[in-house]
Amino acid sequence: MIYPQQNRLKHWVLDTYVRWSVKRNFHHLKVDKVEVSPDKSVLLIANHFSYWDGMILYYLNQQITGKKFHAMILEETAIKEPMLKYAGGFSVKKNSRDILESLRFAVELLNDPQNMVLIFPQGKLYSNFIGEVTFEPGVSKIMQQAEGKFQLMLAAIFAENFEHKKQVVNVYISNDEQPGSTDATAVQKRYQQHYDRARAQQTKIVL
Amino acid sequence: MIPQRRVPIIQDMFQRYVTYRLRRTFNVMEFNKIDIKPNHSILLLPNHFSWWDGFLAFWLEGKFFDRNFYIMMQEDHLQKRMFFNLTGGFSINPQSKEMITSLNYASNLLSDPTNLVTIFPQGALISNHAEQITVQPGIGHVIKKIKGDCQIVYYTVLVEYFESLKPSLYFHLLDCGTNHGFNFERMKEQINTHHRTVLQNQINVAH
Repeated sequence: MIYPQQNRLKHWVLDTYVRWSVKRNFHHLKVDKVEVSPDKSVLLIANHFSYWDGMILYYLNQQITGKKFHAMILEETAIKEPMLKYAGGFSVKKNSRDILESLRFAVELLNDPQNMVLIFPQGKLYSNFIGEVTFEPGVSKIMQQAEGKFQLMLAAIFAENFEHKKQVVNVYISNDEQPGSTDATAVQKRYQQHYDRARAQQTKIVL
Repeated sequence: MIPQRRVPIIQDMFQRYVTYRLRRTFNVMEFNKIDIKPNHSILLLPNHFSWWDGFLAFWLEGKFFDRNFYIMMQEDHLQKRMFFNLTGGFSINPQSKEMITSLNYASNLLSDPTNLVTIFPQGALISNHAEQITVQPGIGHVIKKIKGDCQIVYYTVLVEYFESLKPSLYFHLLDCGTNHGFNFERMKEQINTHHRTVLQNQINVAH
């Protein structure tokens, strides 16, 4: 498993690159404001349709939570992009014993209220047009083990052009109302409700 | 209304430039091939969700349809960009009485089998995630007034990222038949069914 690393220079390089490229590639980014509790860490779950999602949420993290950014990424990606570990990326390898260590590490991160952990529960890239978001089982295990220590946020990301040459990103975020129930299907259902609401809002946009 | 003042050599050069720009901006541009009827003009009805749509239709015409390209634009938009007048743009003003003149003008162009006219059936910019495609009644008027043979083609474009940092375009073409035995309600139904199927099938797109 690959752990996040501290290196101020490499972190600066990556940080600068991500900020530059997000600004350059998108017309603007819009994000909802949510309440963040100072004595709890944040677990952010989002839909995954491109390599941009992670970068977009990294870019917006200061605005959304203001906490230290961590993200669970696939081991293949972490090996291919070795810089990601300097911005809080830690790896997970599907179908291996290593996965337990990754989940344990995520729980450990969530125990510190200074941290935020981003997880894409879909586990791989799907289309931005899907109607239903399916979850891999790991997320609910993390939630069970770190129960009470974190605040759960649900994010739905949509990217579209509208009247602009570059795409506009809308990130719909809401706090989960019942962080108490960590049952896998219940969480997925609550995420789905949020996603449907966000999608309905997105499709209403007419120019 | 502003009639078109198409100059073939300018249009041809502009098409090369548009193709170059699209190649640079997008990663993959895929479309499914449908049967094009010989000696039929083509009425092209794309979904309207972005700044790029006109250029996409223009690119597709050069790539696949091989007809003289004309496009219906909003009058105030065309007035600001009169260059498009030379590449086949003519205007419509939905708020004025001259609207009928524009529609008849489109029918006239379609009476020549070497022509292709692009009209955005939604009449406004609408989110790419929308599940419903509204078809303005003017389209029916245009089709009924055509003298000669005309094939009607609808397409939905969906923008996706997947593993690339550049967006990819997926065109889904639908043959809506010809102007003979045309039924407006049936075409509306056809278009919407096609659009919904496309959205659902997007989950299975290979990437």
